[in-house]
Amino acid sequence: MTDAAVEIVTPDRFTRGSKLVDALSKAGLAFAILAVMLYGSLVSPAFFTSGNLLNVLTSMSIVGIVVVGMTFVLVVGGLADLSVPATIACGAILSLGLQPMIGPLPAFVLAVGLAGLIGLLNGVLVGYVGINPIIATLGIGTIGLGIVQAAVGGVIVYGSNPASAEFAKGRLFGIPVVVLIFLVIALIGHFVLSRSFWGRWTLATGGNYSAAEASAVPVQAVKAGAFVITALASGISGGLLGLTLQSARPLIGAGYEFSAITAVVVGGVSIIGGFGSVPRAIAGLIFVQLLTNVMVLDGVRTPIQGFVLGILIVGAVGMDAALRKRGVA
Amino acid sequence: MRLLVLASRYRVVIILGLTLVASALLVPGYLSASTLSLGLDRAATIGLIAIGLTVLLISGQIDLSGGAVFALAGIVSVILQREIGILPAAIVAILAGTLAGAINGALVVGLKVNSLVLTLATMLIFRSLAHWITNSQPVSGTDIMLSLALAKIYLDVFTIRSALFIILIVLLHFWLTRTIPGRNVFAVGSNPAAAKESGIASDRIVFLGFVFAGTLAGFAGVLQSLVTNTGSPVFGSELTVAVIAAVVVGGTRLEGGRGSALGTLGGVLTIGSLTIAMEFQSVPAYVQQVVSGLILILLVMLDRAVTTKGRAQGTRPALVRDDPITQGGKAWLGGKAWLGGKA
Repeated sequence: MTDAAVEIVTPDRFTRGSKLVDALSKAGLAFAILAVMLYGSLVSPAFFTSGNLLNVLTSMSIVGIVVVGMTFVLVVGGLADLSVPATIACGAILSLGLQPMIGPLPAFVLAVGLAGLIGLLNGVLVGYVGINPIIATLGIGTIGLGIVQAAVGGVIVYGSNPASAEFAKGRLFGIPVVVLIFLVIALIGHFVLSRSFWGRWTLATGGNYSAAEASAVPVQAVKAGAFVITALASGISGGLLGLTLQSARPLIGAGYEFSAITAVVVGGVSIIGGFGSVPRAIAGLIFVQLLTNVMVLDGVRTPIQGFVLGILIVGAVGMDAALRKRGVA
Repeated sequence: MRLLVLASRYRVVIILGLTLVASALLVPGYLSASTLSLGLDRAATIGLIAIGLTVLLISGQIDLSGGAVFALAGIVSVILQREIGILPAAIVAILAGTLAGAINGALVVGLKVNSLVLTLATMLIFRSLAHWITNSQPVSGTDIMLSLALAKIYLDVFTIRSALFIILIVLLHFWLTRTIPGRNVFAVGSNPAAAKESGIASDRIVFLGFVFAGTLAGFAGVLQSLVTNTGSPVFGSELTVAVIAAVVVGGTRLEGGRGSALGTLGGVLTIGSLTIAMEFQSVPAYVQQVVSGLILILLVMLDRAVTTKGRAQGTRPALVRDDPITQGGKAWLGGKAWLGGKA
């Protein structure tokens, strides 16, 4: 009953049933991506080379794994997870630092597990204690990052296992392993969010907390779960980043939270919750990554790229609020 | 539970007292006029930003971009020194902070979006601007002697910076407790819809709150740059958590509608004396971060534990509602008000 209601009502409330708005919101991003590609190929001959596109794809995959998790946080109405830099650093530093002691695979698993623990703390604070997600993840992120730094003495950690580096940098059927891992995680995330009971609960909790609670959805666990998913995803992303770079400094994950949030909101996932899907977020990610790439090829300096990201977030969030108001009023 | 409520009410005094006792026991020679002066001066930076944040939090909003505005204003004040002289440059830089606050306020009020998310984005924008202007390099000012003059200690205790902070926070105390605009800030924070119904211009108060917070963050940044004779795009990046922690220690609620200037003073002094104690013991910066993060989380949890349950539906202010479309958006929603429901 609840499931059907959510599926029918949500798009309705968002677009007010207008086919035009619906089509625009779906096709808008595709147009934007095409426009960026067109512009990129016009201004830079290097844009449409397989080397460049492969680079974009690889860096996109590292952020993309975080984006899959962050989609859950936004859809469940958890605003944003600001502890991503901490969980990425946790994944990267520990999966390299523990290699000499316990071997590469156990190190990776342990690093991801500990990142998940940070997510569990976030989840308990947000879901069960009811603390504002941004404050909670800001605080826990600060603590987590401090502890990870203290654990390695605040220095840069280097990899000591060439085989694991070969694997992370390697290719399978001509596709980089990192990209394949991202695709698998994205598929799982999409399946869970759109086809499973957990996804329906997530959408219901984000769309209408009280109604979901009244319909016996375990809202607290669902909300907490979104933060655990994000932390696990960032842990994996950080681990892969560390293995590819073969070095990890404490601030390795700085900025990833913004890249992920930008991708998700630009993809049209509502910051208010209750609406969104993994493919939408990934479309946003593709747009943002291509835009960044074109700016890099165009010789635009890094600070300006951050500036553009910020404006994109403001624009996307403002548009979301405007659409919402139309839908509700 | 009663004990918790009581402890929560007088927590500033308790926490500050505990901090001082612990520091005095652990750090030899801690209790002296020079420590007090150093602690006050260190606390003044956090304190000036915290003054602005106190007003904003009481009105139910938050500004995460303070640290970035702090850096940006400092850079502006240093860069313009060569062109137009030190004092005009400082004034322009403070106005830049005001402008940044006005942008935040206009966007929050105009777009009706959650201030946490919006100031997160503007934080990125202001920080990028700071890197953009300076090419990510620190810039230095023209007059080194000025920083010496600003660091001079009067009456054994006060630097100009810490004196300004104390004066401003006392003024804020009287403004919040003795004037009508001050009272209106509380009204907006505890129930935006009811405040609007009673003829209070909620949107204007929220907007001016952001302008005030931006101005003070800019002011703090200018003072910091003058004292160090340097402007750097990375200044203030670790301030966000410390400032929020200071304000929350002082008993101001993230939920809006509750808080006091004197509480913030206590909170700022606590964070200041902790910082000094840890620096005396040469505790690494990342451990200090862990401590301020822990203080923040523990106190916010304490606040949640003693928050009176069962407030009327739709009266929960901005930051705790699940529905981040905030100010003034609730009255007309009528039957749909429960959509935002409980947090």
